[in-house]
Amino acid sequence: MKKVESGKKKTSLPVKASLCVMGTGQLLYRQWIKGFLYLAVFAGFLWYLAAMGIKDIIGMFTLGTVQADPWLGTEGDDSVIMMLRGILAVIVICGAALLYRSNVRDIKRTDEMIRAGKPLPGFFKATGMFLDRKFYMVALALPVAGVLVFNVLPIVFMILIAFTNYGGDIVPPKLVDWVGLDNFRRILTLSDIKGTFFRILGWNIIWAFAATFINYFGGLGLALLLNKKCVKGKRFWRMFPILAYAVPGFITLLAFKFLFSYGGPINYYITAAGHSAVGFLDIDAGIKAKLIGLFVNAWTSIPTSMLLATGILSNMNMDLYEAASIDGASKWQQFIKITLPFVVFSTTPVLITSFTGNFNNFGVFYFLRGGLYMDGYFLASDTDLLINWLYNLSINNNYYSIGAAVSLIIFAITSLFSLSVYVRSSAYKKEDTYR
Amino acid sequence: MRRKRYFRKAVLADTVVTYLVLVVVCFLFFFPVLWLVLASFSNTGSIYDLAGFFPSSFSLNGYKTLFTDTRMYDYPNWLKNTLFVSVFSSLIGTTLVILTAYTISRFQFSGRKLLMKSTLVLSMFPSFMGMTAVYLLMVNFGLINQLWSLVLIYSAGAPMGYLVQKGYFDTISGSIYEAARLDGANNFKVFLRITLPLSKPMLVYTALTQFAWPWSDFILPNLLLKNKDLWTVAVGLMHLDETEFTRFAAGAIFIAVPIVILYFALSGFLVTGISAGADKG
Repeated sequence: MKKVESGKKKTSLPVKASLCVMGTGQLLYRQWIKGFLYLAVFAGFLWYLAAMGIKDIIGMFTLGTVQADPWLGTEGDDSVIMMLRGILAVIVICGAALLYRSNVRDIKRTDEMIRAGKPLPGFFKATGMFLDRKFYMVALALPVAGVLVFNVLPIVFMILIAFTNYGGDIVPPKLVDWVGLDNFRRILTLSDIKGTFFRILGWNIIWAFAATFINYFGGLGLALLLNKKCVKGKRFWRMFPILAYAVPGFITLLAFKFLFSYGGPINYYITAAGHSAVGFLDIDAGIKAKLIGLFVNAWTSIPTSMLLATGILSNMNMDLYEAASIDGASKWQQFIKITLPFVVFSTTPVLITSFTGNFNNFGVFYFLRGGLYMDGYFLASDTDLLINWLYNLSINNNYYSIGAAVSLIIFAITSLFSLSVYVRSSAYKKEDTYR
Repeated sequence: MRRKRYFRKAVLADTVVTYLVLVVVCFLFFFPVLWLVLASFSNTGSIYDLAGFFPSSFSLNGYKTLFTDTRMYDYPNWLKNTLFVSVFSSLIGTTLVILTAYTISRFQFSGRKLLMKSTLVLSMFPSFMGMTAVYLLMVNFGLINQLWSLVLIYSAGAPMGYLVQKGYFDTISGSIYEAARLDGANNFKVFLRITLPLSKPMLVYTALTQFAWPWSDFILPNLLLKNKDLWTVAVGLMHLDETEFTRFAAGAIFIAVPIVILYFALSGFLVTGISAGADKG
């Protein structure tokens, strides 16, 4: 029993001290600057907890208890600010935990060095060495902080909002409450919202498949066409799609809106031929507006997929075709058996991103038919995708919590789809086949 | 003999059909642009004054009013705001992307895989979801109607798209770095003296893409800039209706031309940039 004990390293006093209070161990080893810095952080953290932290964490659970009353002059709680401060408190506590871990590691290392009888480096030298050894930490600090504040924080905030009743009439100074899964229940069961949701979802899925199919094979077809031996002046021909690619998206979309408007050139020729003008994008346009949306989307996206396919085709092994044509394979067979598998294999990740991109294609119908609300739809029209509905709900009409729940549903659909396709794809299964 | 002639005929037919399809497709791509260019030189302002696709008379009035008649639609001011946001977003964003891509490509550290995976998951959230939240946050903190907040959001989001740059850094052999390290240069010096000069083309590409994004974005400015003086070109052009069509066309052409020139100058890069994304997943 005693032998085992002596075999284990005995924890020295400074290590114990640092385990209890950050920095004290370092001070005991006469590392003044480092010790005081750790101590200051520790003190600052305790002060933060006492002054705000604990209150903020509790506030995140209650989301405020006192409603403002201008008649009595009571200053109420602002639920949204309280939620944000709660998130901030969680981040601060995580940061403090990381620093605590570094403190423990540091004192253990110092302890070992002293036991081994090595001299301790001075503070500034140690800092310099640390910064060089951990260059990646220094370099990534700012980007990671930026992404945390402007990408992660909003997403966390939005996820939390999806489980509250924030929005509609309930905005500060009124108190917001946690409502659990109520928003999802409303979307999936409540009559008016449910009908809209499933109708939009159905159209959204059709749209995503159709648009991805058209853009992908349109681009591939165009690239193959330009790759043909008989085509002279490839650079010249390629200029046109690149021109379409280079024009900023909002200009293209606005221009197409004008093109199909009542005063636009298409209606000019229709009226000149003696017919009455057609409301291509009117509220009762129905299938016309959907087809125009697909066309406009193809116009903006085919150039990208053409450039991509061109890049991939240029990496292809041409011997395969020669062998195939000697064996008597027709052009079509060559395309099905050689070109398609190769291109699809190398573009599976792009295909996935393009599908999710189309699923969440905000611009097309925002510009072509933005702000139309149709009968039978809850704040949407028949061409709106979920993402447009999300915009109508949360930005135009302040239904924040329903909007947040919709965006979580969008996330669930797109991520499940991407993951399942990616895991099944040959690109994932046999990464090395074509390399 | 007959077979040969048949074959030649088939080839000829194939060529003719190929060219026919090409001409039609290129016309489809070119025509809307041409229409916009012609309309920007229209003598009168409204879309109803155009005879179909073509203006009835040409002049430079569209461009003249664009810059002189600023009472309702202050285009020079929009342009100034857009430039401000784009230039600063490009500067800060490029720095952040390059740092991120270089570090992730060059160093093996604990948490690297986690970092890469979490950016992948983050990018799966609908970008719009974050934006609604950003809007709510900005409203709560009183940061809407600030051009700087746009710059912050654009440049902070830039590192998320580090993959293309990482792919580039992956191709630089590690032995160069090792040699410099042996000579006693620290990691910061290596980055400044070796990495940056080696990656000039990538720097240019990154800076331009980071510039083009705010230059043509409409969602974020439309959300955050409610004040008319702060509108960017995209927001401003969205507010022009059919009667201001010439003004719209002129403004659109004026802002599109620099970008189009940039893209043509960089068209080689574009192919590599787009397919780099394909390669790395």
